[in-house]
Amino acid sequence: MTRKLQRTVRLPDPRVVFALAFVLSSFAVVIRGNLWLMIGLMAVSLLCAVCIGVDFRQMWRRLRRLLQLLLIVSILRSVFAPSGTILLELWGVQILTVGGIQIGALVLLRLGLFITSGAMFTCYSVRVLIQGMVQIKMPYELAYMVSVGVRFIPQLAEELKDSLTALQLRGVVIEELKLKKKLSLYTYLILPVIVSSMQNAKELAMSMEMRAFRAERNRTSFYALSLKPSDIVMLCGILAFTILMGVILIVGVDIF
Amino acid sequence: MDERFTLELRDISFSYPARERRQNFSLAVKHFVPSGQCTAIMGENGSGKTTLGKLAAGLLRPDAGCVLYDGEDIAGWKLGQIGRQVGYLFQEPSRQLFTPRPLEELSFAQKLRGVPQDEAEDKATELLRQFELEHIKDNTTYTLSRGEKQRLAIAAAMVAQPRFFVLDEPTTGLDKRRRGILAETLHSLMSKNVGILLISHDCAFVDEMQADIRIMDGGGLVDA
Ligand SMILES: Nc1ncnc2c1ncn2[C@@H]1O[C@H](COP(=O)(O)OP(=O)(O)OP(=O)(O)O)[C@@H](O)[C@H]1O
Ligand SMILES: [Mg+2]
Repeated sequence: MTRKLQRTVRLPDPRVVFALAFVLSSFAVVIRGNLWLMIGLMAVSLLCAVCIGVDFRQMWRRLRRLLQLLLIVSILRSVFAPSGTILLELWGVQILTVGGIQIGALVLLRLGLFITSGAMFTCYSVRVLIQGMVQIKMPYELAYMVSVGVRFIPQLAEELKDSLTALQLRGVVIEELKLKKKLSLYTYLILPVIVSSMQNAKELAMSMEMRAFRAERNRTSFYALSLKPSDIVMLCGILAFTILMGVILIVGVDIF
Repeated sequence: MDERFTLELRDISFSYPARERRQNFSLAVKHFVPSGQCTAIMGENGSGKTTLGKLAAGLLRPDAGCVLYDGEDIAGWKLGQIGRQVGYLFQEPSRQLFTPRPLEELSFAQKLRGVPQDEAEDKATELLRQFELEHIKDNTTYTLSRGEKQRLAIAAAMVAQPRFFVLDEPTTGLDKRRRGILAETLHSLMSKNVGILLISHDCAFVDEMQADIRIMDGGGLVDA
């Protein structure tokens, strides 16, 4: 962690990234139907991510599966919500249409924007992120909660795997089940994981209280963030970008 | 259940996937056939007992060597198929309890396998009675005490009527009387020709089961 902490000294202040991620993902939600604007936004966010130093190869490896799924979704959307020029028609069914591809691409880009915004945080150590959240006046408890939540994710994955094994060892061959039974099986799996994570959380909270977490109103911190001139320039840049995008969206300037 | 089930481990070697900066555990067992009806594995913490049990139950696949059930290599078997031959009790009971109610816990796996509702529930009730869990059959599974969870997990492992059991520290959290009941249950299973691999630190219980004792140390079985 210390190495990561040192490296973050050269990165922009985490608060800059909060602002950036907030703006990018808000626009991803707000923009509807304007594919070119979305592509522009995606290009900007990729550029930012590269500048911050997101490891794209690692991210790609993690998200490849998800991206395949998204691709299928976008094709489905072009089959079931066809519009515009027909590109491919088989047996009277419109398989690919320009309109469908546009909608699919919009969905893909929207999720892509969320993913790149989130990925920017992976460059920072958890400690720095908490400090950033605290310094934008987010309650310390909430900030701490986020960091604890992140820590539990791998544990949840592990537990899910164990439960799946235990279930199969009861003599249930998953591959042989009908779809309906398969679905009910997943509800059986999710329940213990949720319950155990809630119990974990409760126990963790209790042991933290026993060690006097929150005994004082404010927790002092040796490590504090301060905005450098370059950070302020970047914040201004983000503000300008936001205004520009806002104007384009509201006035509907057709710059493309 | 006439034919006695035979389990055999041959030239097994296994190690957990290496992660940086961690000392890697590796297990090597040349040849292991549980000799008696009940075989106990004992040994220090971290000597690899659980790992051996998981290998025997097909939960972990060996890097080299093979595990044979009735002389047949299980390498290509699905977990569900293995589960019909071998029952496995996890060291940690809460990971193998799935439903909010104990009664359902014992019947849902049967229902998934296509056993009719009534039959499944009769059997579940019978097992609840056997493990003295009847009075809590409609309580919430997750708030049961450690020992109650343990008993429920053991009962659940018995539902599928496997021909062999791997029990990882089944007596943890059980009081003296419940240990006696468990021993009785296991004895009656043994009289039906069901084999048992018992992983335990509980000398008294191992004695009570009249088990053959094998000792594990540093990832290997100490010669008997
Ligand atoms: N999933 C895993 N990944 C990496 N190492 C593991 C894993 N599970 C167990 N180990 C390691 O393997 C070794 C043997 O573990 P194992 O659980 O088999 O011991 P054990 O004999 O059952 O101990 P105990 O008496 O405490 O139950 C330990 O050193 C442990 O750290
Ligand atoms: Mg163990």
